[in-house]
Amino acid sequence: MLQLKRTPFHERTSALSQAQNWRRWAGHIVLGSYDLGLDREYWGIRNAAALIDISPLLKYRITGPDAAALLHRVTPRDIHRMSVGQVGYTGWCDEEGKLVDDGTIARIGQEDFRMTSAEPSLRWLEMNAGGMDVRIVEESDALAALSLQGPNSRRVLNACCETSLDGLKYFRVADNTLAGCKVQISRTGYTGDLGYEIWLQPEDALTVWDALLAAGHNYGIVPCGILAMDMARVEAGLVMLDVDYTSSHAAWIDSQKSSPYELGLDWSVHLDKEGYFVGREALEREHRDGPAWKMVGVEVDWEGMEKLYAAVGLPPQIPAMAVRGSLPIYNGTTQVGYASTSTWSPVLKKYIALAHLQRPYYQTGTALSIEVTVEHHRRTAPARVVKLPFYEPEWKKK
Amino acid sequence: MNSYDAIVIGAGHNGLVTANYLARAGKRVLVLERRAIPGGQAVTESFGEDWTVDSLHAGGMLRPDIVRDLGLNIPAPAPQAFTAHTDQGVLRIGPTLTDAASIESIRAFSAADATRWPEFVAFMNSCAQMLDAVYAVPMPRELPHVDLRREGLPMAKLALRLRRMGKRDMFRFIRALPMTSLELFEEWFESVALRAALASVAIHGHTLGPMSAGTGYTLMHNWLNRGGLAAPQHAAGTGSIVRALTEALLAARGEIRTGSAVQKVLIERSRAVGVRLASGEEIRAAVVFSGADPRHTLLALAGERELAPEFSWHARNIKMRGAVAKVHFRTDGRHGIAAGTHAVAASLKHMERAYDASKYHEIATAPYLEVSTRGETVSVHFQYAPYKLKSGDWASEGKRLEEIALATLAPLFPALAASVRGSRVLTPMDLEREYGLTEGDVNHGQLAMDQFFFMRPLPNWSDHRTPIAGLVLCGSGVHGGGGISGATGRNAAKQYLGGRVG
Ligand SMILES: Cc1cc2nc3c(=O)[nH]c(=O)nc-3n(C[C@H](O)[C@H](O)[C@H](O)COP(=O)(O)OP(=O)(O)OC[C@H]3O[C@@H](n4cnc5c(N)ncnc54)[C@H](O)[C@@H]3O)c2cc1C
Repeated sequence: MLQLKRTPFHERTSALSQAQNWRRWAGHIVLGSYDLGLDREYWGIRNAAALIDISPLLKYRITGPDAAALLHRVTPRDIHRMSVGQVGYTGWCDEEGKLVDDGTIARIGQEDFRMTSAEPSLRWLEMNAGGMDVRIVEESDALAALSLQGPNSRRVLNACCETSLDGLKYFRVADNTLAGCKVQISRTGYTGDLGYEIWLQPEDALTVWDALLAAGHNYGIVPCGILAMDMARVEAGLVMLDVDYTSSHAAWIDSQKSSPYELGLDWSVHLDKEGYFVGREALEREHRDGPAWKMVGVEVDWEGMEKLYAAVGLPPQIPAMAVRGSLPIYNGTTQVGYASTSTWSPVLKKYIALAHLQRPYYQTGTALSIEVTVEHHRRTAPARVVKLPFYEPEWKKK
Repeated sequence: MNSYDAIVIGAGHNGLVTANYLARAGKRVLVLERRAIPGGQAVTESFGEDWTVDSLHAGGMLRPDIVRDLGLNIPAPAPQAFTAHTDQGVLRIGPTLTDAASIESIRAFSAADATRWPEFVAFMNSCAQMLDAVYAVPMPRELPHVDLRREGLPMAKLALRLRRMGKRDMFRFIRALPMTSLELFEEWFESVALRAALASVAIHGHTLGPMSAGTGYTLMHNWLNRGGLAAPQHAAGTGSIVRALTEALLAARGEIRTGSAVQKVLIERSRAVGVRLASGEEIRAAVVFSGADPRHTLLALAGERELAPEFSWHARNIKMRGAVAKVHFRTDGRHGIAAGTHAVAASLKHMERAYDASKYHEIATAPYLEVSTRGETVSVHFQYAPYKLKSGDWASEGKRLEEIALATLAPLFPALAASVRGSRVLTPMDLEREYGLTEGDVNHGQLAMDQFFFMRPLPNWSDHRTPIAGLVLCGSGVHGGGGISGATGRNAAKQYLGGRVG
């Protein structure tokens, strides 16, 4: 019988769960939220420190003389230029330049990398490793992971780690010892806030969890589920596989596929890098011609929303969590795109959406309208294209 | 640094044909051959002590248009007999396929078969001509889409050519391609001996048995290359072809360097710009042709790092699996074997069992053999000797091939054993190591139904291109290839000179 797996933190997370709001994530169950509502957990991310179990992430360890060459070939990033201790975010493509998946790549040593992904990637890595002297080991279950996000996260870690985190720059990784346990800590996250991810042995999971909660007590630490993180990642303009784009390996038709340019990941495509990489020719072509689509931010006009609801005698109704349903976006009466995720942003006090728009409507400032369902009737509210991210606190990269 | 208009990797007959076409079109061409002598499998070479042998391919012919185009001087091989030694008796056909003696020989087994024989020969000749035409047309690049401007006309001509076979033969041809030779011959002939004789030609050189699908096609293919049943042997050896090609190339100011193994195709931004030799020397060229097999060319010479993952996965899966070995005997001349081609083909079932052994990675102990002689030399084509062995390895098993061959031939040619003065065995491992054939596959990729026509070497890559611009395949592994004919060498050169590849 198919059994969803539990993470190494299950004993703690399940004990704290009030809502029994379990969600599936890569074959595991994790908590969507601990409380009935998301407020406390969301504000934990934005105002204090939120502790999130991200163990279900798929993780691969790539070692050997050709480790860098393999990742250089698989991704559009210039991996050879990464220094030891650096972490890079990137998507990776098929030969047609369409995204297969995305994740982070950490250069742990000269010939030692860790890659994370949303979907199983072992076969793809192995297919690309032909003729290379490289070892690819899946360590998804062999490695537990926690994300500690929020403006207080560094203070919490400094209170329980052997080595201070003050020197660890944005998107860097280093070894550390936490409550006597060997861990690796990267300054990364999926919230767009100051934050860290802690990579540890599963047998140390409970010790590390307890130590973090204890150390965080004075800093307002909150165990946080993945739904609050989902709101935060939209504010940060970060994409999610299967929500904001479909893997080219899973798409039924070509138009379901997206290129990195279409998702606004231009900065992670290094066309000036040396040698072949998967999708190079197609990406060069798209770079020349400009993408036909682009994912941008859209802000929904609040007064417009108020008017729509006022007409039926209600104040604006906002969903309690990020909405993953596709919403049409119009220029006048012509549909020119769709929102793949939309959410109320508590910190911005705005209704925002990750929107996929056709050229030329993705220009910042373009006035459009988005579908809103008001008391079972489809209406449209005025909206405007804005730059991503929606929210970036000044302490994120400091 | 040296620079050429074109480099051709491998001086097999196809590489030499390509080089000749290019040189005659005014290109500066350099052919690089890893062995000490040119010729590839069409070689006639010395095994030392004045012993000169057609070491791999017994006889062969280039297509007449190639001989004409390149102004080659190759004396035509004299027609020879094909003799099948079956468990029903000896069947002798030729030197002309339908001469009176041949028909009488068949009549000894079956009067009905003797009556049908001329019709069968006419049908096979018609099939071979059809294949010849198909082999002259590189297949469309993105089937089912056909680029009307570039590919439409040649394809339409082929369709018309097929139509001109006549309604009956057209259907018979299409239907015979995927058939097993067993079923094909059961429909035509009642004599077990005649069926066995024909089946031996159908399976010759292929890792297939008479009960394998697609041996209808391989019979037509071999019939085309042989011009019938017997191997077209040259008085001066198969190497006559190579000699003529080499002389013509040098006369057209082409260059050949032997002892020059290419180690890598130099690639800059997914474009071939030259080669690096095993010695480290680098030579640049505007285009690089490879007459080496596609798997070696793509995976070793271009390298998987330069190829898209799906593509290299497909390239890794090109079916090679050679199962052919050669045993050469040097005799005192009194071997007692008549000139011509001798198939040792007891029966169709017998050959199928020999093939079965290769499926299980064993040497066939009751093999199918083809024997030919040139002066004092008796050359034995040994099938099946699979490249991968279940037990033992080819370093030690070579001797067994010789023993099995001698034991099998002794009852048929009683004088042979006593006449033997020396021998030389070429195992599938030798074919790989010495002659550069991946997995000892003489055809650079099996002519199996999932690897023929528009699927040779890979689906939609049968127009000589590779994913690397400027790297063009010209050897037997592409559509049109297998056997000595020069078709792929010619087609590759024409594709390039016509601006369609490269
Ligand atoms: C015993 C035997 C029986 C056969 N029977 C049949 C048959 O019945 N039907 C049939 O269709 N075919 C048959 N064949 C196969 C046929 O002989 C070949 O298909 C044909 O000779 C191939 O010619 P080619 O020029 O394409 O390649 P080859 O003759 O193989 O030439 C390739 C050349 O490239 C060279 N080379 C390889 N790698 C490198 C490198 N890295 N650098 C430099 N040079 C390199 C090799 O040394 C070789 O000289 C048979 C072959 C043998 C040996």
